[in-house]
Amino acid sequence: MIEKLSKKDIRALKFGVIGAAAIILFVFGSAGHKRWTKAKANGAVLRTKLDAIDVDKARQAGLMSIVPVFEMPQVEEEQKFLFRDKLSEQLKRAGIRNKPLQVQPGRKSPQSGYKFLLVKCNATCQFMQVLDFLARLNENPYLVGIEELKIKCDPKKQGEVELDFTVSTFAL
Amino acid sequence: MRMWQSAVAIVNDDNEFKGVELRKQDGSFEILWTRSSEDADADWRGFAAECDLSVEPTALEEADSDRMVVAGFNTAGTIFHRTTVPAVGDKEIESIIQLQAETRLPLPPEQIELAWRADQLRDGQMGVTIAVARKEQLQKFVGNVRCFKPIKILLNCEGIVKIWEVFFSGNKEKAVVLSTGSRNTHVCLVEEGRLSNAVVLDIGIEDFSTNVMDEQTETTERFAQDMRSVLDLFGCSNQEELPVFVLSDGSSSFVSIVSSLRLAGLNARVAAPNLKGLMAKNELSDEDIYQYRTPIGLALMALDEGTNELNIFERLYNPVQKVVKRHWLYSPKVTVAIASIMLALLAIVSYAVDITGPSSIEKRLEASVSDVDMNLLVKRQQLIKTVTRERPDLLDLLKVVNESGERGISLTSLSFKKGQPVSISGEVSSNDQLSRYEKNLQNAKGIEKVNCTANTNAKSRKITFTMTFDYKNFGRKTTKSKR
Repeated sequence: MIEKLSKKDIRALKFGVIGAAAIILFVFGSAGHKRWTKAKANGAVLRTKLDAIDVDKARQAGLMSIVPVFEMPQVEEEQKFLFRDKLSEQLKRAGIRNKPLQVQPGRKSPQSGYKFLLVKCNATCQFMQVLDFLARLNENPYLVGIEELKIKCDPKKQGEVELDFTVSTFAL
Repeated sequence: MRMWQSAVAIVNDDNEFKGVELRKQDGSFEILWTRSSEDADADWRGFAAECDLSVEPTALEEADSDRMVVAGFNTAGTIFHRTTVPAVGDKEIESIIQLQAETRLPLPPEQIELAWRADQLRDGQMGVTIAVARKEQLQKFVGNVRCFKPIKILLNCEGIVKIWEVFFSGNKEKAVVLSTGSRNTHVCLVEEGRLSNAVVLDIGIEDFSTNVMDEQTETTERFAQDMRSVLDLFGCSNQEELPVFVLSDGSSSFVSIVSSLRLAGLNARVAAPNLKGLMAKNELSDEDIYQYRTPIGLALMALDEGTNELNIFERLYNPVQKVVKRHWLYSPKVTVAIASIMLALLAIVSYAVDITGPSSIEKRLEASVSDVDMNLLVKRQQLIKTVTRERPDLLDLLKVVNESGERGISLTSLSFKKGQPVSISGEVSSNDQLSRYEKNLQNAKGIEKVNCTANTNAKSRKITFTMTFDYKNFGRKTTKSKR
């Protein structure tokens, strides 16, 4: 039968077959392309997550030296309580008799999605107690950072200092 | 280099198309067929078709077969010239010959084609054979023979010399070879086994075969006279000694030609075919060999790979070369197909990896931690990183401040606040001490931009000072950037 076809007919048939193949390829290809794009996006998200979790040992050790313990932030009231409680405990442990701790809202949070709370503290104590307190402050799992610290010595009172500091925490 | 099994040679000799196919086998030759056409209307195309050669423009059978086809060009319109040149390179010889051709020939250079062949160097000089013909004539000939795509176009007189050497007991001495046709005679000067000059005389066997005695005598005399002129033209001084070989089919006509030349004082002799080393499918007589001497000679030349022929058609005819069959791997189509398959495979593998990769990671994570745990882990890690940036090491700061000072310095206050420089104040006993302290702080790691203001207490002579400096990046307004 194919012998009866002229060259023109054969050429037309070839174009037809190529066109049909192109249509099939387009239909299935576009669906496949969408699936592929979605899979690539999912993969990228997963990789970002994995990158966030999977930190190399040296870097992890560095992080651990600065933040040895950490608790995820709780709702504001609970976080206030937990943070203040832990801070009072640390002050007490250092032997610092402080005035009542004042909690106040802080500046703009450095981490989106979390509130930034500040706790102010005034105390009169020995300089060595200050050092002891600062050395153990990192053990507070709710602490974000020390925002302010003022140490004032009275030369007349040997070793006694006035301590003012503000520390911060995150809350939901 | 390609090894040809056989050669087909076609010539138009004595107004008659002749063709042979010669095969070389184990050092001997075999004539596979001979064909001739006395048809006055015959042309090259028709005769080539008769010889079973492909004459269709698109056909490539001949190029693909193991036999080569050569065409013979009648040298009646070709001028041969001998000259000597100093021992120089081919390019210089070419220039010298072009110059000589332009000065000696009556035609402008663009109307002629020439070919040259140098002999061996002798006494610092090199003999050169030059063949010159009108370009128009050659172009016309090429137009005639192009239809059967000969691989070479050879000069008939070179074929005559070749067959004389191979099948007429020729030698390498300087000699003159006469190939007498029915109406003309090729006179070829042979030196070192190669044609060095040639002339075509318009006297042939038919002129010698007349029964009229007077006419024969006149022909003989004219022939002898012409031969002497030709030998003079060839520059042969010792004409009596120079051997003149008259190719012969053994008939009496050739004996009379030789006799007439001998009478004229020339050293003429008959050269009869010596068929040792020549076979044929059908029995061939001396007459047959003589009749097909030119195409056989050309076929011999074609089969002889060492032949350095005078190729006067070099610039006018490029024969169809056989397309060398390359390995299929070199085919562009195959290469494109392989490249396409590789691309398709690459796309499929990338697709499969992208589709299955995330899902397999998710599965593994699900097996170890839940999705909630995963998000929590990510958040925790991000928070820890943020806290790291927010947490100054104030113990380290106190240590640096303390270690930078020397005995005699007493500090009264220290103030640290994020986004502001650290401020310290105290007392020193001398300006030198203060400047050393300032310098030490400036050199301490993590401390920058140290500023100092000092006042001297008139009563106690103590110097009170206040210093400010940036501690790491906590002095800057924002602490979001990474350390």
